[in-house]
Amino acid sequence: MATLHSGSLQRWLLSLPPVEYALQQVRELLIGSLKCGPIPQHIAFIMDGNRRWARTHHVETVEGHHMGFEALAKVLEVCYKSGVEYVTIYAFSIENFKRSKYEVDGLMDMAKTKLVQMSQHGELFDRYGAAVRILGDRSLVRDDVLEQVDKAVEMTKDNGSAVLNVCFPYTGREEIVHSIRETVKDYSSAPPEKRKEKRPFSETHIQRNIRKGSQLESLAEEQEMPAEPPVAETASMPSSDAENTSVSEQDLDSSSHLAHPPSSQTSLSPSPDLQPSSRLDLYAQKKSSSRSKSPHLPDPENISAETLTRNTYINCPPPELLIRTSGVNRLSDFMLWQVHENTECKFIDCLWPEFNLWKFLPALVEWQWSQKKAMNGNGGERAKAA
Amino acid sequence: MVAPQQAREVRTAQLSAQERERILKPYLPKTNQGATHQQRHKQRIRPVIRRTIHSLLFAIIHLIFSIYIRIRQAYHAVLGQLLAVLYYHHRTPELIKRDVSGLTKVPKHLSLILDRRESLLDDVCESAAWSACAGVSMLSIYEKTGILKHSLPHLHRRIERTMTSYYGNSPNKPSISLRAPHLPSYSPPTSPDPSINGHDGVSSQRPHLTILLIDASDGRQTLVDLTKTLAEMSQHGKLSPSDISSKLIDAEITESVMGEPDLLILFGAKIVLEGYPPWQARLTEIYHVQDHAGGVGYHVFLRALRKYGQAEFRVGR
Repeated sequence: MATLHSGSLQRWLLSLPPVEYALQQVRELLIGSLKCGPIPQHIAFIMDGNRRWARTHHVETVEGHHMGFEALAKVLEVCYKSGVEYVTIYAFSIENFKRSKYEVDGLMDMAKTKLVQMSQHGELFDRYGAAVRILGDRSLVRDDVLEQVDKAVEMTKDNGSAVLNVCFPYTGREEIVHSIRETVKDYSSAPPEKRKEKRPFSETHIQRNIRKGSQLESLAEEQEMPAEPPVAETASMPSSDAENTSVSEQDLDSSSHLAHPPSSQTSLSPSPDLQPSSRLDLYAQKKSSSRSKSPHLPDPENISAETLTRNTYINCPPPELLIRTSGVNRLSDFMLWQVHENTECKFIDCLWPEFNLWKFLPALVEWQWSQKKAMNGNGGERAKAA
Repeated sequence: MVAPQQAREVRTAQLSAQERERILKPYLPKTNQGATHQQRHKQRIRPVIRRTIHSLLFAIIHLIFSIYIRIRQAYHAVLGQLLAVLYYHHRTPELIKRDVSGLTKVPKHLSLILDRRESLLDDVCESAAWSACAGVSMLSIYEKTGILKHSLPHLHRRIERTMTSYYGNSPNKPSISLRAPHLPSYSPPTSPDPSINGHDGVSSQRPHLTILLIDASDGRQTLVDLTKTLAEMSQHGKLSPSDISSKLIDAEITESVMGEPDLLILFGAKIVLEGYPPWQARLTEIYHVQDHAGGVGYHVFLRALRKYGQAEFRVGR
């Protein structure tokens, strides 16, 4: 308690109107002048040290988190005013659920309160033009919090000038797993219909034309696709001769049948519950019907790092700068996929509630400096050598 | 203890939404509404003045900062030189052992990020020797381009030679096995098998160091390859997407590349991972020396181990 009040004189001085006004002007001036140089497009923060701060100041852990939130508000203001487009914060790790129930509940309540306040001040938030995005495993969040989350996201989604990514139940590994899972899902189901609808040509029609042409010329090509010609004609008819027809019917007339491939699939298998085995059957039949690859399923060889990036939660360029407070030199499972390439990590030795403009500016200026040095790299190297 | 929190809650509860907005108003960025003629004139002049002030201040800040950073760099360079002199290994395993003797823990799996430069092979050999002396059992060396993977036997011979220069022909000389993901492991053909000559118990105590060489393709590309395999399996109906879990991927990645390192040492001036495998970097302690420009130095290695072992770093012994 004593430590909280010992700074009260200093705080009283700082809160005097003229002093406060002057400080505000200085801040504005600094931010304005920093804007003259390069500014990172995306900054990520690991807000570590709230609990330790609370412990050293002998207050409740939840109070530490409150102070952390206030520090965050100040830092966000600096970021957006200086022109950072994306800010990503590590608000809550999936691992944090292992903490005491009291603390987790406290954090959840705080998140809810802040979100409620945010939705009350909708138009004020709009003035900064920041859209809030919540990233992470939603299934782990309490329903009442989730409701407020959705409200806040919905309210700010039209703001275009800046984005605040809040990683809330998040871990970097979970994100990679999520991305892989989504990619696998994408690649094991038929591609979306819209991609095919755009084209004015029907595959059936083209094939029919080819067949006509080949019938006129010779019958040599028929050996290469033996199953297709009769199927194409019976495509509109009810499938008379069992599985083979409906399979290659899918193959051929994909545009019209994409809407209900599952139904045709279940018609094949005796029990619809056995999804994997029926799909296996389907695949075997497709293989047997003289086609090595099904045109329905995209080729997994097309998966690239970009595919995985697209399926991550964080939908923006990787951060240029990652700042972690509290002097711990670990990533702690944060943004592993985005951060491991060209991001510069900074581990700052101060607890998050104490993090403010004056701690943030040196990091930013140093980044600008190294950026400038990289730009005229030769000059910088020569200066260093001299 | 709970009092300030309650007080705060009461205070916030008392303020209505409008009151809060009123308090916040002066801190918000200005809107361009309702400007009179005079204000519009000001709006033309003021930004010019403001921009001049800003760029002037920007120049001043960066001037001061560059002076500051040069001093800092010089300080770190001197400190680095000093430590390099004070802590030199003299190619003596006993000295290295003594340097790490006070540590509470030594990383089991140590990882290094090395740059591609002329002395790369020497860097690998030296750091392998230091790690072996310090009692590290697994050393993974990340080099972005993968040039190290080209010739495992050659590199193994070089490391073996360096080890000999450290240990001589002592029976404690650690055995080295060198491997890279997706390449067959290169184990020492000359090293005696412990089961063959385990007669005096010395050879069975002989420490072993596994060196793993990784490059940029073992990071993202491995995960992409894994996804391809999983997608194919899913297409064949051998796997459902819900089977994909952190555990499964961790098992696969650990087997095909490596597990999580305990400590990662960077020899650059700033912390940039340069494509280091993302999956494994989760909880790894990352160490670098600020403004370090001296390449792979023993003192950096030692400082990293000391930081990891939570030991105080004293200048002088």
